[in-house]
Amino acid sequence: MKVHLEKVNSKEEEEAVIKAVSVTDEITGAIELLEGGSKGIAVSKDEQVFLIKASAVYYIESVDKKTFVYTKDVCYDCKYRLYELETMLGGYFMRCSKSMIINLKKVRNVKSQLSGRIDATLINDETVVISRGYVKEVKRRLGIG
Amino acid sequence: MNRLKFWLEQTMTISFAILVGIILEGVVYLIFRGQSLEQFSLSWIQLLSIVLTGAVCSVPTVIWLTDNDIPRNKFIVQLILHCIGLYAIVAVFGRIFKWYSQANGFIMMTVIYFMVYVFVWLVSLWIHKRDDNKINKALDDIRDEE
Repeated sequence: MKVHLEKVNSKEEEEAVIKAVSVTDEITGAIELLEGGSKGIAVSKDEQVFLIKASAVYYIESVDKKTFVYTKDVCYDCKYRLYELETMLGGYFMRCSKSMIINLKKVRNVKSQLSGRIDATLINDETVVISRGYVKEVKRRLGIG
Repeated sequence: MNRLKFWLEQTMTISFAILVGIILEGVVYLIFRGQSLEQFSLSWIQLLSIVLTGAVCSVPTVIWLTDNDIPRNKFIVQLILHCIGLYAIVAVFGRIFKWYSQANGFIMMTVIYFMVYVFVWLVSLWIHKRDDNKINKALDDIRDEE
């Protein structure tokens, strides 16, 4: 497939047009990847409901069957389960341990520890753990696996 | 499945490292004792013992060292126990497969064991470091601005 890239001056002008004979898995994947940031998630805090953009989410954690969505400096409750959010968000959102989904776009760098675990430092300086078992999937999502 | 794969990887790495250790031992004997190449040979039972040792030594690694969420100090204690446990396995296998018969042979086996242990860890760390670099480079291309 030919790919044309045209530079624009602002975020508002950004758009992607895909011309295809049929919608294959690759195209669905590309659409999910491109739309990932503009999807909204219904969350709540102090009994108020908000709709936050997926692109604002840093990571999502499940603790005692409750789901918490973390943005740069706010933590929200969410009614969805991790596996639902994983399917819903797709793209650069991926499982990094049994109880966490991470937004790879918010990771500043990763560093392996002697024990085999990987510490991922986010762009807000928080650190989350990526289990060694998910490294292959991280690499696949980043196109290096 | 991941544990099975990890066990197989460990078995291959440890077996290979033992083989390298034995080759180094042969080279040492060749150079410092003036022995000829013909005197240095490996029988099929010795090769089998190398693979068996690798496979058995990988079991404690899979059981003890795959828990990613333990604190650093607990991990260091586990690592020391792991090193001693593996040394005990190697000593027992060495006795069964007659890798050594005298004190000199036992000392040589001990030296090879610690060389292999360090080698396997260095290889693991190098693989992890290489993964880190690849991932960090790819993250640079997709990262959001804060």
